Formats: sequence, C-alpha cells, structure tokens
Amino acid sequence: MKTMRKRNFAASSMNNLTRRIVDHLHRIWGLALKEFQQLSRDKLLLAFLIIAPLMELLLMGALAGGGIRNLPLAVVDQDRTRASRDLVAKLEQRDEFRIMGYGDSVEEARSWMQGGDVSAIAVIRPGYGAALTDPARSAQVQIIADGSNQVASTVTLAASEDVAAELSRDLVASHQSAGKGPVELRIVARFNAAMEDQPHSITAMLAIIVFEIALVVAAQSIARERENGTLEQLRVTPLGRLDLMIGKALPTLVVGLVDFLLLVGLVVIWFDIPVRGSVFVLTLLTIPFVIAQIGWGTLISLISRTQQQAMLFVFALAMVEVAFSGFLVPASDMPGIMQAVSYVSSLQHYLVIVRGIALRGASLRTLWVPAVSLAGISAGVLMLAWLRLRIGLDSDSLRQRLVRAWRHLGARWSERPSRSRPDGHSAKKRELKREPA
Amino acid sequence: MGRSGYNWGLMSINRFKSILSKEYRHIFREPRTLWMVFLSPAFVLIALSMVFTSGTTRVDLAVWDQDRTALSRQFIGTLTSDDDFSVRRISGYNDIESSLTARRIDAGVIIPPGFADTVQSGSTASIQVLLDGVDTLAAGEATGSLLGHASKFGAEVSQQYVLSPPSVQIRGQSAYLPESSDRDSMVPGLIPIVFSLPVIAAALALAREREKGTLETLVATPVRGLEYLGGKLIAYVSASLVGLLPVWLAASLLFNVPFRGNFVLLVVLTTDFLMASVGLAIVVGNIVHSQQAATVLSLLVFFVPAFFLSGLLEPIDTTDVIGTIVSYAMPSTHFVTICRAVFLKGASFLELWRPSLMLAALSVIWLTLGALTFRKEIA
Repeated sequence: MKTMRKRNFAASSMNNLTRRIVDHLHRIWGLALKEFQQLSRDKLLLAFLIIAPLMELLLMGALAGGGIRNLPLAVVDQDRTRASRDLVAKLEQRDEFRIMGYGDSVEEARSWMQGGDVSAIAVIRPGYGAALTDPARSAQVQIIADGSNQVASTVTLAASEDVAAELSRDLVASHQSAGKGPVELRIVARFNAAMEDQPHSITAMLAIIVFEIALVVAAQSIARERENGTLEQLRVTPLGRLDLMIGKALPTLVVGLVDFLLLVGLVVIWFDIPVRGSVFVLTLLTIPFVIAQIGWGTLISLISRTQQQAMLFVFALAMVEVAFSGFLVPASDMPGIMQAVSYVSSLQHYLVIVRGIALRGASLRTLWVPAVSLAGISAGVLMLAWLRLRIGLDSDSLRQRLVRAWRHLGARWSERPSRSRPDGHSAKKRELKREPA
Repeated sequence: MGRSGYNWGLMSINRFKSILSKEYRHIFREPRTLWMVFLSPAFVLIALSMVFTSGTTRVDLAVWDQDRTALSRQFIGTLTSDDDFSVRRISGYNDIESSLTARRIDAGVIIPPGFADTVQSGSTASIQVLLDGVDTLAAGEATGSLLGHASKFGAEVSQQYVLSPPSVQIRGQSAYLPESSDRDSMVPGLIPIVFSLPVIAAALALAREREKGTLETLVATPVRGLEYLGGKLIAYVSASLVGLLPVWLAASLLFNVPFRGNFVLLVVLTTDFLMASVGLAIVVGNIVHSQQAATVLSLLVFFVPAFFLSGLLEPIDTTDVIGTIVSYAMPSTHFVTICRAVFLKGASFLELWRPSLMLAALSVIWLTLGALTFRKEIA
C-alpha cells in the first residue's frame, strides 16, 4: 500500500516534470519565434547580418593581409659605381620594396621620411664598390627604417639583411670555391610552404567577424526591449529567467552559425584556402564560441540602460578581446600578467582553434586545451549573465541598490543611539535629514 | 520666420543653439553615457596597449638530438647562449609534428645521427629545421635568428672555417625609435581606433531619433536639417575632443611614449579627424532605420577596417589602386599617420599637410553625403 502510493507519487512527479519541461520548451519556442519574426521584418538589418559579413571578408581579404609589400624606399647612392647600382637593383627586385626616389644627401632623404613619403632609406657611402673588391674588408650599407611602424621596420631590416647575404654569397662564389662551413640549415616551412600571409590574416578576419556579429545581435536584442519598455511586458508573461535567456540566445546562435558557415565557404571557395582538418569539428567548436558571445551580449544588455550604452560596451569589449586575441601580438609575447588575463579571451582560444583546424589540420585531441577553455568561458559568462538577471531587471542599477542598502544601514545605525539617549540631539539631526525628502 | 518647412536655408543661431543644448543634455543626462564618451577611449587604449611589451620576442624551439655527442650538445648550447630561443628536448619526428600542430613550438630542429663525424671530417652537416609557416612574420624572424646562430656555431667549431666578414654588411638603424619598442610604435597608432567609440555613439544617437520617431517631431518644428546635423556634429566632436586629454595622458605618462610634437597641432588635427569620422557616422546613421542595424553597420565600417586597412600593421601598398582608394576613404588611415608622426617624429604641420588635407577633404565629402542622405530620408 505504502509503496504503491510512493510509486504513484514518483510517477506523478515525473509527469509533472515532463509537463513543466514541455511548457518551458513551448515558451522558449514562442519567444524565439517572435525574435525570428522581428529579425525578418527588418530587411536591412537582415542584409547587414548575412550579406555584409561576406562582403566585408571579401573586401578585406582582397585588399589587406597580403603581407608587407612595396614599401617606399629612398636611395642615397654616393658611390655611383656598378657595384652600388647592382645593390640597388637587388633591393628593387624584392617584393618588399619599391624605389620612391634617389636623394643626394641623407638629410634630404630623412626629410622625406619625416613627411611620411618613404619608410626606408638605403645609404651607400663612397668607397662601397672599392671595398667589395678587397676580400679582407666588408662593404657597408646603411639602412634607415622608419621605426614609427615597428612591423614595417622589422620587415625592412630583415629583407635588406637577406639582400646582403645573397650578395655576399654571390661574391664568395665568384672569388673562390669556398666551402659552406661546418653546418647548413635546411629550413622547411610547414603548413605554408609558399610562405603566404593571406591564410594567417583571413582566419583572423573570419574569427573577428563571427565574434562581432554574435556579440552585437545578442547585446542589442535585450537592450532594445529594455529601452522600448517591452522587456517589462515580457517579464509579466509566464516566461522564466532561463526561458528568456535561452529564447533570446537561439536566434543569435542561428545567425552566428549561418554566418560562420557562409564565411568558411567563402574562404574555401573564393580565397582557395582549404580547411585541412574537419569542418564538422570546427563548426562544433564554433558553438561554444558563439555561446560565450551570447553570454557577454546578455550581460552587456543587462547592465546598460540604452542601446547606445550597450553599443559602447560592445565596442570596448570587442577591442579588448582583439587585443588579447593574439592578433596584434602573439599571446606568448605578452607581459606575464597579460598572458594570464588573455586566457579569459574567448577570441584567443577560438583563433587558435580556427588556425589549428583550418591551416594546421589539427584534430580535437590536440586542441583540447582551447576547446575546454572555450567551454569554460562560455559557462562562466552565462553564469554571470544569469546572476545579473536574478538581481532584477528593474531600472535600479547595482550602484543605486548599494547606495540604498548603505543608507538603510546608516539609518539603522543612527536610530540605535537615539533610542538609548533621547536627548533630542540626534532626533533633530534626523529631522533635518528628513526635510529635503 | 514662420514655418519654412524642412529646407536648407541660412542657419539660425538660436535654433542651432537649442539643438546643441538638446544634444549635450542627451549626453549629460545619463552619467554612464557621459563617462563612456569621455573616458572609454582612454580606457580602451590602456587595455590595448598593455599587451605590448618593450622587450624582444622569444622563439619556442624543440630540438631532437639524434647524435648525442659533445658537439651536438655544443650546438644546442649555442642556441641557448642568449635569450633568443627557449629550447626543449624532444625525441622523435612525430613529436615535432604534433607539437607544431598543437602550436606548442614555433620550430623543430633535427640534428642528424653522425653530425659530429661529418663536421670533424671537414664537410658540411645539414640540420633540418621544421618551421611553423602560418605566421609568416614570426617565421621570418625565427629563420633569421637560427641562421645567425648556426654561423656563429660554425665559427666556434671549425679551425679551417674562419668566419670571414661578409662581403656586404648591413648597418640597420631604426629611425625615431632606436630601441625598437613595439609599444611605442603601436600606442599612437591605436589612438584612431579608440576614438571610433564616441564617433559610433553619434551614429547611434541619430538612429535612435529615427527609431523612436522623435525625428519627425523635430521636422515639425522650424529647426532645419543643417541646424540639426550641425548640432549633432558639434556636440559629439567636442565631447570626444575632451577625451583626447585622458588618452594623451595615458600614452605619455602611463606608457612613456615619447611625445615630440606640438600638442596644439594634435588637438587641431584630432578635430579634423573627428569631423570626418562623425560625418561618416552620420551617413551610417542615415542609411539604417534601427539602432541595432546602426551598430552592425558601424562595426563593419569602423572596427574591422580600422585594424586591417588603416596601415596600423601593414603600411598601405600604394601600387594597389583599389586598396588605396578604400583605405584613403577611411578617416582612421590618415589619422594613424598623423598620430605616429606627431608623437614619434615630432612632425610639424608643414610636414603633415597631405594627411591633414585628406582629412579635411574627407570631412567635406562625408558631411555633404550625410546632409544629402539625411534630406532624402525626410522627404
């Protein structure tokens, strides 16, 4: 008898649970449907979300990321021999340089650099040609690179070192058949034998575009309802907090994944960069990445009161994420503390995953560290967003709540002595305090 | 005066002033918006600049020593003699391949068996280097560094092989930043990017009025289009300009970036840049109907190109005509040049006339386009 009732109870509670879950799913689906309808109504927005990212990648990929080419170079040839002209020709042959002009003096060339017309100067002093014929001496060439762009200056110096090494080799070979020396390095560039810059930058653009689209859609969807006051209407419906978050997240997830797949298609078909690893695994790992942005977006839209504020937060976050992503500086070259901070950047882990799978053909097993980190970050950020949702959606900011709690505490504190010492002093003070209110 | 409808006539100072005060009130009403417009550039600049070091970068190396002789250990010793490499031992080709794939190392060095015998017999031993070619810039630096260390080892080891001075020697010099610091070069270059924050706020302010329908209320008043846009422009340009001070303080005091130029020149050219950018933002705000769409479009117009097209990392290749036109249409491209020149080169106005003129032209173009698209929208 007793066990029967227990079983009955268990069965009914099971029924209850399934019914509740079905109810929740029903509500979530309703909200998601409304979101999709809203999205499809704004045709221009939809075009920006789907077509604009493709156009952007097409344009950026075609125009940028091809590596440093055609840096304007000024030549100051004070030697004017065949050897010096030979050197200038060798410099001109490099992809990195384009000869902009010939200067008579270093000062003249420096003034060009000051105005930003040239980014490198090659100075060939008199006696360069003569020094070359003397095997005991070495002929010197001065290269002045514009250090205000560090990347370009590094490339300038490396390329001119290459030219010098090539010239030295040629000269030694023509003088005598000297040996190569005891060691020789046979260098093979893996994953990118032709040393092309494009795959590296295109993958960064892909990750950044998916990142920004997911973040914006997520951040503006709640901020918009809040600014228009429709969020309060949603709150009086039976939608729970979790329902609200999931229902709002679904459209973003769909938009993010659709964009991702379209962009990958563009990278493979148009830019002819094959994905060496599994596209399926890459798509699978894109899901936690997009979810992390949904978490950030939800959090941002909960702490900002207007869409303008939400947008400023989105941009600030996007810039910080790009900074830590390893796009500007590899994470291993950052200062120690920043390296630790960069682990919180979902973009950093995602970039490692995209490059790993697409360019290096890595499998999930080699990429488990960034994959787990990505999952951890998305869980953490979603948790924060959920906690913020629990605090309340009313117009009170956290600061106002703290201020009120503080005042409340202060009021209780000032009341206590007044009870024990009814001398009227603190009561008067309270009187005064009350007045402005 | 009367109801003159919505035409472009002479501006009325009074109406312009009331629009301006309305815009200021919008910014000042929400303390959070105020702080974000003023301080967000400095905050973001600090966050972005923190990741750059002034030190040199290290190459992560894995060495598979198949020879295991004193000589091969000496070779590895040469690699570890300075701070260029961080070396770890590894055994097996597959280990190198998987470490490269997992990005644990930048390069793998394989010392063949019989390395010592070959070197001692006077012939050349070849060492194979497997390099991660994905990041070409890093790969190039690693190659140069490895070659340098190999020839140093050659000179140490072989008596017959005297490292003769190379016939042609490069004396490299980095102008303006002799100690070649990444941070000093990047911080001024990032200033245009961080100023896109308040600029985009202007695009959203415009989209908001359209979304909420308050623009139509304004149309019904005698305020004219030019007065309205002028008020928006002045309000956001001046509010952003105040943000230059914390940005400049962060760059010079916090990151010790040398400031060799003239501060007044920087302020004038920043105004020039902000006019052009807010003009572009007005065009963005006019095209779209909702704030959500405005945000997406601003991200696409201001954010990604600012990193990839502005010449921040790759200087613009002027032989590529289309690329140059697109890059030059972006105000941030010219401002990257200007900021670096004013901070690091101490450039004067005469040396910067070209980017300044470009920015002035862009302000005229974008503001005119903004005014034209605005009128169309209302009609």
